[in-house]
Amino acid sequence: MANTWGYGAMTNSLGDIQNSKAIIIFGANPAVNHPVGFQHFLKAKERNNSQLIVIDPRFTKTAAKADFYARIRPGTDVPFMYGMLNIIFKNGWEDKKYIDDRVYGMDEIKKEAAKWTPEKVADVTGVSAEQLMQITKVYAKSTPGTLIWAMGLTQHSVGTSNTRLAPILQLSLGNMGVEGGGTNILRGHDNVQGATDMGCLADTLPGYYGLSSGSWKYFAKSWGVDYEWLAGRFKSKDWMSKKGFSLARWYAGVLGGKPGEDKIHNAGTNLKALFVMGNGITSIAQQAKVKEALDNLELIVLADPFVNEAAILTDKKDDIFLLPAATQFETSGTVVATNRTAQWRYQVVEPMYESKPDQDIMFEFAKRLGFYKEYTKAMLMRDNKTEFKWPEDATNEIARIIKTIGLTGWTADRLKKHTDNWHMFDEVSLRGSGPMKDEYYGLPWPCWTETHGGSTVLYDINRSVKEGGMGFRNRFGMEHNGTDLLAGKSSAPKGSSNPNGYPEINAKNIEAVLGITLTADEKAKIGKNWKVDTSNIIAEKCMKAGIAPYGNARARAIVWTFPDQIPMHREPLHSPRTDLVKKYPSFEKDKENHFRVDTKYGTLQSSKDWAKEFPINLVTARLVNLNGAGMENRASKYLAALTPEMFCDIHPDLANNHGIRNGGMMTIHSPEGTHITVKAKFSFSVSPDRIFIPFHFAGVFQGRDLKSHYPDGTAPYATGESANTVTNYGYDIITQIPETKGGLCRIEKA
Amino acid sequence: MTSTTQNALSTKIGRRSFLKMAAIAGAFGATSSFASENVTRPATAEEVKNPFPGSKEVKTICTACSVGCGITAEVQNGVWVRQEVAQDHPISLGGHCCKGADMIDMVRSEVRLKYPMVKEAGQWKRISWDTAYERISKKLNSLRETSGPDAVQFLGSAKMSSEQAYYFRKFAAFFGTNNTDHQARI
Amino acid sequence: MSSEMSRMKFYCDDDRCIECDGCSVACAEAHELPVGISRRKVVTLHEGIEGKEFSTSVACMHCTDAPCEQVCPVDCFYIREDGIVLHDKEVCIGCGYCLYACPFGAPQFPRDGAFGTKGAMDKCTMCAGGPLETNSVHERELYGQNRIAEGKVPVCASMCSTKALLVGDSENIATVYRARVASKGKGVQTAPFGWSKAYGQ
Ligand code: SF4
Ligand code: SF4
Ligand code: SF4
Repeated sequence: MANTWGYGAMTNSLGDIQNSKAIIIFGANPAVNHPVGFQHFLKAKERNNSQLIVIDPRFTKTAAKADFYARIRPGTDVPFMYGMLNIIFKNGWEDKKYIDDRVYGMDEIKKEAAKWTPEKVADVTGVSAEQLMQITKVYAKSTPGTLIWAMGLTQHSVGTSNTRLAPILQLSLGNMGVEGGGTNILRGHDNVQGATDMGCLADTLPGYYGLSSGSWKYFAKSWGVDYEWLAGRFKSKDWMSKKGFSLARWYAGVLGGKPGEDKIHNAGTNLKALFVMGNGITSIAQQAKVKEALDNLELIVLADPFVNEAAILTDKKDDIFLLPAATQFETSGTVVATNRTAQWRYQVVEPMYESKPDQDIMFEFAKRLGFYKEYTKAMLMRDNKTEFKWPEDATNEIARIIKTIGLTGWTADRLKKHTDNWHMFDEVSLRGSGPMKDEYYGLPWPCWTETHGGSTVLYDINRSVKEGGMGFRNRFGMEHNGTDLLAGKSSAPKGSSNPNGYPEINAKNIEAVLGITLTADEKAKIGKNWKVDTSNIIAEKCMKAGIAPYGNARARAIVWTFPDQIPMHREPLHSPRTDLVKKYPSFEKDKENHFRVDTKYGTLQSSKDWAKEFPINLVTARLVNLNGAGMENRASKYLAALTPEMFCDIHPDLANNHGIRNGGMMTIHSPEGTHITVKAKFSFSVSPDRIFIPFHFAGVFQGRDLKSHYPDGTAPYATGESANTVTNYGYDIITQIPETKGGLCRIEKA
Repeated sequence: MTSTTQNALSTKIGRRSFLKMAAIAGAFGATSSFASENVTRPATAEEVKNPFPGSKEVKTICTACSVGCGITAEVQNGVWVRQEVAQDHPISLGGHCCKGADMIDMVRSEVRLKYPMVKEAGQWKRISWDTAYERISKKLNSLRETSGPDAVQFLGSAKMSSEQAYYFRKFAAFFGTNNTDHQARI
Repeated sequence: MSSEMSRMKFYCDDDRCIECDGCSVACAEAHELPVGISRRKVVTLHEGIEGKEFSTSVACMHCTDAPCEQVCPVDCFYIREDGIVLHDKEVCIGCGYCLYACPFGAPQFPRDGAFGTKGAMDKCTMCAGGPLETNSVHERELYGQNRIAEGKVPVCASMCSTKALLVGDSENIATVYRARVASKGKGVQTAPFGWSKAYGQ
């Protein structure tokens, strides 16, 4: 998404869904995963007769409320969306003016879409041509329409193509930048948005600044440390600019070099220690490998309010440290909801038992590792303090530094005021009243200045920049193949001093684009460009002129740096349709050094007729009462009682073919050679060619009960086999998100 | 489900027994009126209105998912005694799914990790924070010397506050590696 | 309480209920029920069948002619003026007759048969406590919170994730539901369930 128009976040808000006339959901199950958010979907149905369309391999609780439901084969969202585009273009339902003014490269999409006739789509996706046409018609005719997705769209080897084509579908209908429209990605954990924004990632610095030396220099300066000193902490400047191992495949960093394992590129060393804070790594794919990696580490540090089940999974006998971290209710700070809204999470109680909040643990380690002073210095810089106050000074440090996504306005005082006054905001528009007038709840970013009210609807040119309006971001240059990439005439946000497209603002072009003259003093203070302008002169001037600091450009349908410049259908690495694998193979070449590890695509896909041995599609997802690796919810007696044991949803016909009884045990075998034995639960929500298992359990590994590994009195109220023991190999070519939504398996009666 | 789990599930754990246990652990000294033995005294007017006299309400946010539902926590003498309804929250309007409705029990769960521990020769052993810090830092430092900072993998969390996540990334940077990530990638 | 007060009722809008178990867990947590006692249960019928699946949340319906009250051999039930059906746990002998009489399976009995902290038989009190001194610790231990005395909405309905579950006097519930139906497709923002209406605050 970020590669289409600038930012990779939910564009509208949950409440705004009430404004939509149609809602199409791909690979998301908000009724289960975001139940309270789903209230707004239901209200859209009530208020607007909004048509709810659900595209999912399973008949979910969300599907039960849908007006249209299409049972799609896992991993075929790209053909489905091209099928919709095919019908849209054929009937001329696209928004031509919108595309002309605000999109680049739609012609290429049109060409590809022409190939995806409804009949062809039906063959590949399993959704009939009639149903595709019916759904497309309803969706194209009921604007504004909102498109929702979650992990069901990203967890594929072509997840990036999925998340590019969905925005393109919305662009074709002019559904972007309007109330009731947008691409609304529903995040999982409570602060995925915040933690991602904060660059708690292998490939970026906070605020998506990237790992180039320029970014590092900006941060070194902002942190008040010498760049050379910081670089000296790394193996070399070279390694400082290279992506690290990701959560998806860190285990490869331990196992690299062993026979049969993917090759690694990690500064000449394997991983030897693992330091985890609040991350249930039993919910990541390839549990057998994770276990092996854990067994081979020299040091494991796990800081969590509950026992991190990594400690249970491993047979390692020494040097596993469990540190009791406080829960989020025992400390305070900012949490960013899925729609970019910041809320202040006030501390409720003091940390219980001997637990300590995460920051205290990090600070103490920083002291003992000898970099505490440098590490915390930036908290003192804003007001020249001698002592910092957590978390307020950290909040303000972030506000001072992160310009890319517009966090300047997120000062601790403002965020607290919003939470204190949450009753003063409207549930649909999020507009405040009374003292909160002119602000949106939680100041959804970009919140350009300390008086800006936030932006609830991204890319909305019908609002002024001051009211949260903006065009698409100018992120991919000024032109490509001779075509201007800036937005067309008169497509600037309302009230702009510059009615047309314009580039991102820097010290050199600011006077020309805004039509202003800077004073000598301003010239001396201004930063090089809007992303590093800590003087805020650019942002302030832009607000006055009604200009978005990041420019006003076109969204792009072509990403010329990707292996697939436009999204292409590629069968999952483990596809039940061997015939289609030949037609739509995965990437021919394996990807070398993908987050420091070689990753297999085509070679693995074509190495075997997987479907012959493993004919059943394996679908994993969440349950309403548990989340993530499930540890903290399984530690609640009431939640554990709702699903006390691991199970598998299976269609009675499929079960009967294998002699499996309702409530009986069944074994699921994966192409990785792993297996789990779980209770069968008959359900019509899955068709007879696929099964569903939830991914929140741990504590049992391939039939082995690991209960004895828990320290006394810490075992959760429910344990079970982890679904990720049997999910298949396969990773997205760009993000390395694992392909857990499109694998294969073989089942038998246990 | 194993029989121990069933036992655990069926035991009746009231707030009173919970508080007793917490008091032993010494995490806080105060008690709530649940633990009060004085039941014969007629209720005061305030008690009829509020069974937890002197309690205060704290606004906070559910930690279970990204909807960001509001939570009103009722706190008496430093103890979270009741989860109240945040009916005026603009996203959740007081609503919760089962996870959110039970946030109070997550904090008070008896199976929380209560003190630092280390596994030695296959056995869990209770240690002090100081020992834990000392031993871990020593090992991290020596790995950094011998194998380089890239021998360590940091995994942060999408359950941290933004400030903590930011400081976690910063920690990896100051340690000298980009081997750091969180749950956005699952 | 005036006798003109209409009767307190529940209504679960199955167009909205999504089986998220928010209500049942909120209830269990608020009243600290032992695991295995469900004052409120969420059921899904025709699961996985297109066009047929629906979910609904059920508890004691606080019947006007409560069958439980009629069959109880020790006469432990009493019906408040506002229609809330309660019982005296210190009189109840745990015989289970009421369970046979109740069409909704509301009465609950602790699994191990022993008189636990919640007495012999437990059921939804509409968050109105019991016959003991209002908001006393004794009342809370035996019957759970008395939110009605505090002027608060029963916790299950107020925490319902989708506002499917409504509670209040029957006329108000009918008004809320009628407003939802009437606003259908008209772009009207249906207000969340009116607490002010239900309890006149
Ligand atoms: S109550 Fe449920 S829906 Fe609301 S934030 Fe918590 S987990 Fe999400
Ligand atoms: S009204 Fe109160 S006691 Fe009855 S089901 Fe709801 S929460 Fe439970
Ligand atoms: S909380 Fe509401 S939506 Fe959820 S199960 Fe209960 S009645 Fe249904």
